[in-house]
Amino acid sequence: MAVADKSQPRGSGRWRIFAGIGPIVLWQTVFFAIPVGMLSVYSFWRMVNYRLDYSFTLYNYVQILENPLLFKALLLSLQIAFAVTITSAILAYPIAYFIAKKAGRFRTLMLIMVIVPFWTSLILRAYAWKLLLGERGFINAGLVEVGLIEQPLSFLLYSPFATALGLIYSFLPFFILPLYTSIDKVQDSWLEAAVDLGASPIRAFFEVTFPLCVPGLIVGAVFTFIFAIGDYIIPQMLGGGKNLLISQAIVFEFETSQNWPGGAALAILLLAIVLSMLLMLLRWVKLEDVV
Amino acid sequence: MNMRTDQNPAVAIDSVVKYYDEVRAVSSVNIDIAEGEFVTLLGPSGCGKSTLLRMISGFLEPTSGDIRLNGSSVLGVPPFKRNTSLVFQDYALFPHRTVAQNLAFGLRMRRTAAGEITRKVGDMLDMLGLPGMGNRRISEISGGQAQRVALGRALIVEPAVLLLDEPLGALDFKLRKQMQSELKRIQRQLGATFIYVTHDQEEALTMSDRIAVMNQGEVEQLAPPEDVYKRPATSFVADFVGETNVLEITVEAMNGRKASVRDAHGHLLEANSFAATPPSPGSQSKLVIRPEQITLKQTTSKSAARLSGTVDEIIFSGATARVFVRVSDNERFHASITDGENIPAISQMVELDWASDAAVLV
Amino acid sequence: MLPPTQSSKAAPRNSDRPELASWFGSFYSVLVFIFFYAPIVVIILFAFSDRAIPGLPLGNFTLKWFAEAIGDPSLMESLWLSTWVAFVTAILACSIGLPAAMVLAWRGFRGKTLVFALILSPIIIPQMVTGISLLLLFRQAPQLMGSIGIIIAHTTLTLCFAVMIFYSRLLGFRKSYIEAAMDLGASELRVFFEIILPLTMPAIVAVVLLVFTESFGEFIVAWFVSGFNETLPIAIWTSLRFMLSPKINAIATIILLVTMTLSVAAQLWMLRQMRKTGDMER
Repeated sequence: MAVADKSQPRGSGRWRIFAGIGPIVLWQTVFFAIPVGMLSVYSFWRMVNYRLDYSFTLYNYVQILENPLLFKALLLSLQIAFAVTITSAILAYPIAYFIAKKAGRFRTLMLIMVIVPFWTSLILRAYAWKLLLGERGFINAGLVEVGLIEQPLSFLLYSPFATALGLIYSFLPFFILPLYTSIDKVQDSWLEAAVDLGASPIRAFFEVTFPLCVPGLIVGAVFTFIFAIGDYIIPQMLGGGKNLLISQAIVFEFETSQNWPGGAALAILLLAIVLSMLLMLLRWVKLEDVV
Repeated sequence: MNMRTDQNPAVAIDSVVKYYDEVRAVSSVNIDIAEGEFVTLLGPSGCGKSTLLRMISGFLEPTSGDIRLNGSSVLGVPPFKRNTSLVFQDYALFPHRTVAQNLAFGLRMRRTAAGEITRKVGDMLDMLGLPGMGNRRISEISGGQAQRVALGRALIVEPAVLLLDEPLGALDFKLRKQMQSELKRIQRQLGATFIYVTHDQEEALTMSDRIAVMNQGEVEQLAPPEDVYKRPATSFVADFVGETNVLEITVEAMNGRKASVRDAHGHLLEANSFAATPPSPGSQSKLVIRPEQITLKQTTSKSAARLSGTVDEIIFSGATARVFVRVSDNERFHASITDGENIPAISQMVELDWASDAAVLV
Repeated sequence: MLPPTQSSKAAPRNSDRPELASWFGSFYSVLVFIFFYAPIVVIILFAFSDRAIPGLPLGNFTLKWFAEAIGDPSLMESLWLSTWVAFVTAILACSIGLPAAMVLAWRGFRGKTLVFALILSPIIIPQMVTGISLLLLFRQAPQLMGSIGIIIAHTTLTLCFAVMIFYSRLLGFRKSYIEAAMDLGASELRVFFEIILPLTMPAIVAVVLLVFTESFGEFIVAWFVSGFNETLPIAIWTSLRFMLSPKINAIATIILLVTMTLSVAAQLWMLRQMRKTGDMER
């Protein structure tokens, strides 16, 4: 009975609908829709001699393609976001599976333990990785102690590797949870039926379990990708000054260059990338299966 | 204006119609219910019985017509201001409150004094047969106990009318039978007016003072159980309540309520009509006869006055045997026989006999 | 905010699987948890080490960084600012989000899809983009910059999640509870406080927790919008850029322990609530 009952007493439900929906619609319009609209408008303007030129121009967008720094940032962001998403999927799956199917009475405990780091501040955790990955940090010290390496590894910190690692770390719970939910819905009896009908356990997994996890995979992937491509703190703290990502470029344009239209164009581009990914995804997958 | 005289029925449903967009869910229903009566709205799903109940309780408003409780119209009155109580199909016991708190809810809404609430809750728990269970959580009680708490919660506020929406559906057979007599007992004891909704005709026959048989939004018959069973007004009622055999006939003559009819094979039979307007001579109609009213007599020849045929199936079910007799290519009667001695054998030819006032024209 | 789980009473433990898979699974899980908690442990460790520059080898145990952190007025001010901004954001998100979710879950109306799109679109938009857009808006209304601006920004970022959580919980809410209460004499307001609110409490706690921590730890948008006020993340950020003092570790430890305790406590409470009320959904 999830369908709303259309026959309300006295037909005066109207004002209640407005009272409930009104505030949020107003809020979103004023503080979200209009600002984003303004952002798009800004992206078509131009900064000339430190003054805003209001004429319509595609200059900023062209700059993204022409300016090697910006273009590299765009590419690198996409690469890292994809890599992070895929790696997170691979890392998240076994643990999501384990919690859903094998954990038994530890299930709740494990779920809580997965979620809890997420409740702590991102900036703090990014900072913590700095401590871990640094040349005098734990990992290097440990590896040197054990004798695996002679000199501390320098690529651990201030590199795309560090950025990717930090991103994976920060958003892994967002992959584990939806995957867990999907896997949990796969009933054991279905697998037993598959095995009974002649499938080996591995075959049963690929024929039954895996396809049913796709919604969870998609939700996790979508969130991870969006967060990964848009995050600023991790790349800024762990990425080092040499390889900028798109988020850092945006901040740079706004803060340092005072080139708001340029920054706006980058932001809108970011938005466009994400939206087009989603649209492509929707072609492959029906929305009802996922939600 | 509140005219509390004995003339006013406890509940008056007056020409009530309900439309959902284009669909007519209830069409022009008229029912008057007296105080202390147990009336059942009986019918298949979608017949409009629940819709009608919801209109009485205030969760829906009729498209047209009036509903009066004790003489005063309740149109536009919200449920929390009506003096009706509803026992929900899923009980709707508040999961975050204990049994006692659930019972006390309605009293709290009426700002009853705390001491009196405690007393009334205690009394109700006793009456329900659940003494001392006030502090149990809802998740801890059984289905049957939950059913009784739901009933108690609705009764404790002493409503003018108690409405019950298929409350026994979730219970197993034995428990259901038990609860049926419990409900009846409580109703008698309190002298309360009950309006009961169900699709189970046996339940309706057992408990009701009167039954309103509903089909596609209309009341086909409103009568005491015996009348509904023995003297159905329409073919739907005859078919829905109990089992029946149907014979197509043509009316030859009418004498008041008695009819002489002829079937396709030329048999001249008698039947009674209890419809609002009896059928006229020359019209086509149906004759219905209940299986237990048919007696079978072995015969060797066809008669003009009685139907006869060949036994082609017998199903034993404990005390009774259902004997199926093929009367013609497309007609098959079944008789219900309790006399273990006289069951005919398969492919035997038998004559179907019944008392002259048992057959009904619908 | 735990996802609802299948009843573990139903399916029997699958003892046919080879032991190896289970063993591998446990081992892997331990690795993952080490991965998750290592940074947290590191911060805590360094908070108690007396080295001026965090690194190995660990120095001696000390509490002086904690004293320094608590004694630093601007740091404490940032902490206070972050706290009450997060608090107000949480209240706003609930007050605006819950009624909206109630309407969306229980009623139909024309244009519902559009409203859904409007409410949920911030989810798919990188937070920074939302934040920057707000910056543009605030440029037109500079009096909104500062703590008010941060509150507005954080509320905008978290409203969609709040509505999503409320909506999914309310979708399964049994309407008959509301009807039964009304039938027994409760007015609509009464029904809200007696029935809807208590039964939605786990969701509300989840939302408050989510919004609070999100706002408390959010940095980039706050930085853009704050003007001269520094929230705690901003203070940490500034301090990190200049590597001021390990008191950052100390305050981080405090925050970590507080938020972790709160979140664990809240989750356990929510679980207990859901077990107590049994099956709230159909």
